[in-house]
Amino acid sequence: MQQKTKLMIVAAAACGLSACANESDDAAPAETPETAAEAQEAAPATESAEAGPVRPDPDPYPSTYEPYPSGTTLVAGATVLTGTGERIESGSVLIENGKISAVGPDLAAPDGATVIDATGKWVTPGIVDIHSHLGNYPSPSTQSTSDGNEMTKPNTAEVWTEHSVWPQDAGFTRALAGGVTSLQILPGSANLFGGRAAILKNVPARTVQGMKFPGAPYGLKMACGENPKRVYGEQGGPGTRMGNFAGYRAAWIDAQEYKKAWEDYWSAYEVWDPDGDEGAPEAPVRDLQLETLAGVLAGDIVLNMHCYRGDEMAFVLDMAEEFGYRVTTFHHAIEAYKVADLLAEHGVCAAVWADWWGFKLEAYDTVTENAALVHAQDGGCAIIHSDSDTGIQRLNQEAAKAMAAGRRMGLDLPEETVISWLTANPAKAMGVFDQVGALEAGKMADVVIWSGNPFSVYALAENVFVDGALLYDRSDPRRSPRVDFELGQPGNNATGGAGQ
Amino acid sequence: MTIRKQTIAFLVAAALLQGAAYAQGVTAIMNGRVLTGAGETIENGDIIIRDGRIARIGDELSPPAGATVIDAAGKTVTPGVFAPISSLGLSEIGLDAEANDAGPQQQVGFPLGAALDATDAIRSDSTLIPINRAGGVTRAVTAPTPGDSLFGGRAAVIDLTGRANSVTRARVGQVLALGYGGAVRAGDTRLGAWALLRETLDEARSYAANPNDYVRRPRDGRHALADLKALGPVVAGDQPLLVSINGATDIRNLIRVKNEYGLRVIIVGGSEAWKVARSLAAANIPVILNPAANLPAQFEDLASTLENAARLNAAGVRIAFTGTASGTHNLRALTQQAGIAVAHGLPYDDAIAALTRNPAMIYGLGNDLGSLATGKIADVVVWDGDPLEVTSAAEAVFINGVQQDIDNRQAALLRRYRDLSRGNLPHAYRGD
Repeated sequence: MQQKTKLMIVAAAACGLSACANESDDAAPAETPETAAEAQEAAPATESAEAGPVRPDPDPYPSTYEPYPSGTTLVAGATVLTGTGERIESGSVLIENGKISAVGPDLAAPDGATVIDATGKWVTPGIVDIHSHLGNYPSPSTQSTSDGNEMTKPNTAEVWTEHSVWPQDAGFTRALAGGVTSLQILPGSANLFGGRAAILKNVPARTVQGMKFPGAPYGLKMACGENPKRVYGEQGGPGTRMGNFAGYRAAWIDAQEYKKAWEDYWSAYEVWDPDGDEGAPEAPVRDLQLETLAGVLAGDIVLNMHCYRGDEMAFVLDMAEEFGYRVTTFHHAIEAYKVADLLAEHGVCAAVWADWWGFKLEAYDTVTENAALVHAQDGGCAIIHSDSDTGIQRLNQEAAKAMAAGRRMGLDLPEETVISWLTANPAKAMGVFDQVGALEAGKMADVVIWSGNPFSVYALAENVFVDGALLYDRSDPRRSPRVDFELGQPGNNATGGAGQ
Repeated sequence: MTIRKQTIAFLVAAALLQGAAYAQGVTAIMNGRVLTGAGETIENGDIIIRDGRIARIGDELSPPAGATVIDAAGKTVTPGVFAPISSLGLSEIGLDAEANDAGPQQQVGFPLGAALDATDAIRSDSTLIPINRAGGVTRAVTAPTPGDSLFGGRAAVIDLTGRANSVTRARVGQVLALGYGGAVRAGDTRLGAWALLRETLDEARSYAANPNDYVRRPRDGRHALADLKALGPVVAGDQPLLVSINGATDIRNLIRVKNEYGLRVIIVGGSEAWKVARSLAAANIPVILNPAANLPAQFEDLASTLENAARLNAAGVRIAFTGTASGTHNLRALTQQAGIAVAHGLPYDDAIAALTRNPAMIYGLGNDLGSLATGKIADVVVWDGDPLEVTSAAEAVFINGVQQDIDNRQAALLRRYRDLSRGNLPHAYRGD
């Protein structure tokens, strides 16, 4: 079906963001039983009969990320928001060996520590964006680089979006200058099953593996509503919301059978006598699509569900119970506030924009209080997401709008609480809260020093540390990354790099 | 803020501007921090509004007898936000064809472009109007977007009262796509776009010079007459072109074509405009830009930078704001865009002007709109804090001197769903 294409900057009502034309997804889990890396240790890749049964490698493209060198750094005298609800005036954060070693009001600088006087500044955990298309819809946006949406059939659970991510997307650097240190890249939302998500550290690298967040679980992107209908309505379907659900359910049934076939095989292998007359049990044929879905059923892969309407979210929650899996996050959850109680009851997060709306009918009913209303539920989990290469640079401002709207309706929303919408909550939903999302001893030292209250339009990230290494310094062009594409281009020396 | 007395009536004044309804009676907004939009700040400022216009402005005024008094102590008072480009009233829902009249679809062969006129389809009861009004937006340019033609049609200035006749001035500009947006409508090359533009302007001149001769041409040898008629004021240098264009090379050529044809030009986009800043200032070409654009989104945006606004302003170019995140549905976020520009070097007062006075000047309405001064139409907003701050909100909005309702559909949804308890009746019976 044809869409109105509006190339005018006029920014009419349409779709500047990938949420419309290209669509994206979302979602995020709260906890995963084991990380992919651990799973791999426990179950090495395909082996000979003697070494054990065939087990597909859960991590064939492993992270090669290693923190960059960093010394001991004490950030002192700042207003510190820990990400876990605490606010420390004149607070300090001590970074040692790439980790946060202490956070508190009165920390002494160890010998040899670099001390940063952050008096008057604010310090937060690095921002975590649960919904980004950096790398798979990179800059420049051309046919050549448009790799975010495998719009060839409604179920493409077999694709892994990391294979589309271009690490030379300048958008990563701009996001870094906005304080973003971890992000989840999702495939688009044309499909019922869009494919696997990739969680990255926002550190420039020559390879995607060099950015991959060590030990992070995989995610799966699914989509509700208008997008699959619109894309496949005249291409064999689904053409309706009921068609969407029939498609999901048929796939889950197949995935259950696939999962059982492997479990049966492993059980048979257990009881197989290598010295007996019978040959080794035969492993099922691998199917990448079903392998991903089976991973969700097993709880290894985190489910991100793009879903705008509250009534559809309710069906998705029932479907998850029908097949025994968990939805972690509804992305673009414009109507989350209508079912906020249901989401809290199921422990599902809502990832939302502050006030972006109206680009399609299922996005008609937003309220700027959406995040605050989700948060206000007992056990509610609100996340502010971007889905945009410019929005990701100012997630703090988006949260500020949502916070202010919530305050105006009378909710108690201090900054130390709201910062969790950008840090701890997405980290939990993505399954990486054991490592990032809060300023806590032992966590990765992903830290942002802001020029002032980050819930102000004037605040800028001045220093951004990833695993203790200073990777962005607004006052030092040598600490501002530039991707290959920008080198030697006109204008690149105008201001330079990440902060351009 | 207290409203002591509401004495608001309407009358339709046949004034300079069409369709303006003015308040009868007097309102006094007292003791606010008044930012005039023209660069001045009056601490503890007072504004007296009489018959829809600003009668007096100062810092030690007394409310006239019988005036409705607004206590703005501790508040900030500005001119209403004037959105310099949008499709307000034309687009209710972007992807819903029936609810989006912003422009023809592309690649369907729709024959006309320049002839389209926003005023034919502006729905002044669009829900977007009260939603944006609640965010302090009082006027907006609403424009069609191009389909298969380089030209999109004619834009209008409307007020955000939501009245049936809310057109302030029709035909304030003709939309034109150039740069890559022009190329895709002209053989996928910028060369095609420039050639097609010149050819069309030449035809419009021919038609304007002698319509009777022109219509004698064989039908397949001429442009659509409706388009040529619409372009008459453009080639006469009376009606500005609203040109979407980004790259510095393209902008330089636009200046050449402007001079060659004697056109008036307003740039929309201009991501690399800072590279041509002095020429733009000399050519008196304003730029409506997205201050958040800083990515090499296309090859025509390689030099985009967050400092575009500050650099253009410093060079003397008149600027105003647009952007995807502050588009038609979210014109209320134009204040945030201004704040972003300030965070990257634009002087604060100039950012206020870029939201208010500059758009009025760009569209030739500066004598009546865009600033707080004696004699101006009273589009005034009282804010609970710094209007550029993302945590601030508009508390009172005046258009044509009339205090506006700032309730809206989103507020109604909130009233309906802020309490999710089952109650005695379904949610469909709650809120209003």
